[in-house]
Amino acid sequence: MRVKILTVDDSKTVRIIVKKSFKSFDCDVVEAQNGVEGLAMAAKENPDIVLLDITMPVMDGVEMLTKLKSDPELKSIPVIMLTAEAGRENVMKIAKVGVRDYIVKPFKEDVLIDKVSRVIDLRPAGESAPAQKNIDDPMDILVVEDQPAIIEQIKSGFGHTPWEVHGVASTGEAIDFCQRKVPDCILISLSIPDDAAITLFRIIRSNAKTKYVPLFGLSVKTALEEQQRAQQAGFSTIITKPIDFGDLESKIGKAVNLDTSGKYFAMDDGFMTVKLPTACNPAVVNEVSTYLKTKTSEAVGAGISNVIFDTQAVESLNMEVVKLMLQSMKLCRDLSLKYALAGTTKIVSESKKFEESKDWNFCDSVDAAKGSF
Amino acid sequence: MQQTFPITDTELEALATHAVGSVYSTMLETDATLVSTMEVGGSDCEEGSALPIDTDQTLIAGTVGFIGRLSGVIYIFMDLPLALKITCRLLDLKTQEIEAEGHETVNDAIGELTNMIVGAFKNDLSNKGYECRMTIPSILRGSSFSIEPAEVGLRRVFKFDCDGSSFVIDILMKEETQF
Repeated sequence: MRVKILTVDDSKTVRIIVKKSFKSFDCDVVEAQNGVEGLAMAAKENPDIVLLDITMPVMDGVEMLTKLKSDPELKSIPVIMLTAEAGRENVMKIAKVGVRDYIVKPFKEDVLIDKVSRVIDLRPAGESAPAQKNIDDPMDILVVEDQPAIIEQIKSGFGHTPWEVHGVASTGEAIDFCQRKVPDCILISLSIPDDAAITLFRIIRSNAKTKYVPLFGLSVKTALEEQQRAQQAGFSTIITKPIDFGDLESKIGKAVNLDTSGKYFAMDDGFMTVKLPTACNPAVVNEVSTYLKTKTSEAVGAGISNVIFDTQAVESLNMEVVKLMLQSMKLCRDLSLKYALAGTTKIVSESKKFEESKDWNFCDSVDAAKGSF
Repeated sequence: MQQTFPITDTELEALATHAVGSVYSTMLETDATLVSTMEVGGSDCEEGSALPIDTDQTLIAGTVGFIGRLSGVIYIFMDLPLALKITCRLLDLKTQEIEAEGHETVNDAIGELTNMIVGAFKNDLSNKGYECRMTIPSILRGSSFSIEPAEVGLRRVFKFDCDGSSFVIDILMKEETQF
């Protein structure tokens, strides 16, 4: 999986040094010059980690960190502060807001790589990554949980997917399972006694066969202390119970670099249909946006010249969706593709509330949209 | 005033040498050696005296301030050829690549170098119990600099040598009575 690092620093020099440091790893480094740009970039790019300076103009690092940690969509992104200002007062201030680690400038490249690799899986560039799977491919999800009811709940939650959930109750059974078959993703309950989750995490990470397998912690929402301990040990993602399966599915998809484009894009009968789901949250919009260019180019390559944007399932039209649609329409115009929209009366009426979408014409079904060309 | 200043000359010299040394060795993988120390306002160096840099080239100055019980400003002066050499080393880029980008890359690199040196200096001051905050770095270019502060408790100029070139650190500090 190609990981994404966001470096937020007003100094171009530091941004160049950070980029250079990760050149030999399979990762993308995206940049921002201050806290305001950093927040916008974090929402747009959904990075795996943020390297954040403290003293910056416009919005400093402490303010950006506070805003990031209070945003439900962004708060789980781990942050490492990279600052020239150490000192007890500063460290205490940033520790309270919740940073994973901090690096004091001047810093050695090795230290930067070491600290980042404790939080995300850095894979050397060129090292063969597993073949990309798509949403119809089977996957093995290992759940290490001593509560059988939770295992059953996860099995049922993924019932609509081709994923196979394997439940084990102890770390010993988990190790045995991994020796027989390397799972695509592992979920470990953090409440197994004697910090067994942390021990298992270390064993899995130190084994060459399993070191890149995405590992999520499972914890009750209110068990903040156990979550903090797990994060300090290196868990980059914690899933809280009760489990939001839509969110978990999306996180697993991203972690295993699953091609989820099939959920939104379909091509048949000379049409490409872009079907937006019920809950169009920023993560979904970002996911669709990621595939947009590739899938549209694929459509052109396949001789398709008509595109339908199907918003019939969308619960509510928000600005993020409007922006996505504008981006999609522009892409169609650039590639000389014709497009039509399908939406419910609710979506039509909501579209009138935005200046950007007030003149859009919707058909009441995909068939009607097909007939409109 | 000078006799009651909370930081002695020996301590200040140690702070400056440690800050410069740690940044040069970590970021540039080279050493900087302290060549001389001047007490500005003393018998050997009057306010407004020329900087002890042997060059006829344009100078570049990075500056960062710090505010706390001890407040002040630190200037780092060097000539452009040394600034360019440092930028190349810091960014692992060739001279031509940096020159092609104009002034901005060198200015930013020297600004960041100053930021790190003042950061290391400030962190040592914090460890001595003098917490302070830093300002954002700024850069000046010119051929002749003369700094005459309105109010200063202690001012020392340290000349360093690095790979046959010299650069100067000018430290101006005062104790804030309001803190």
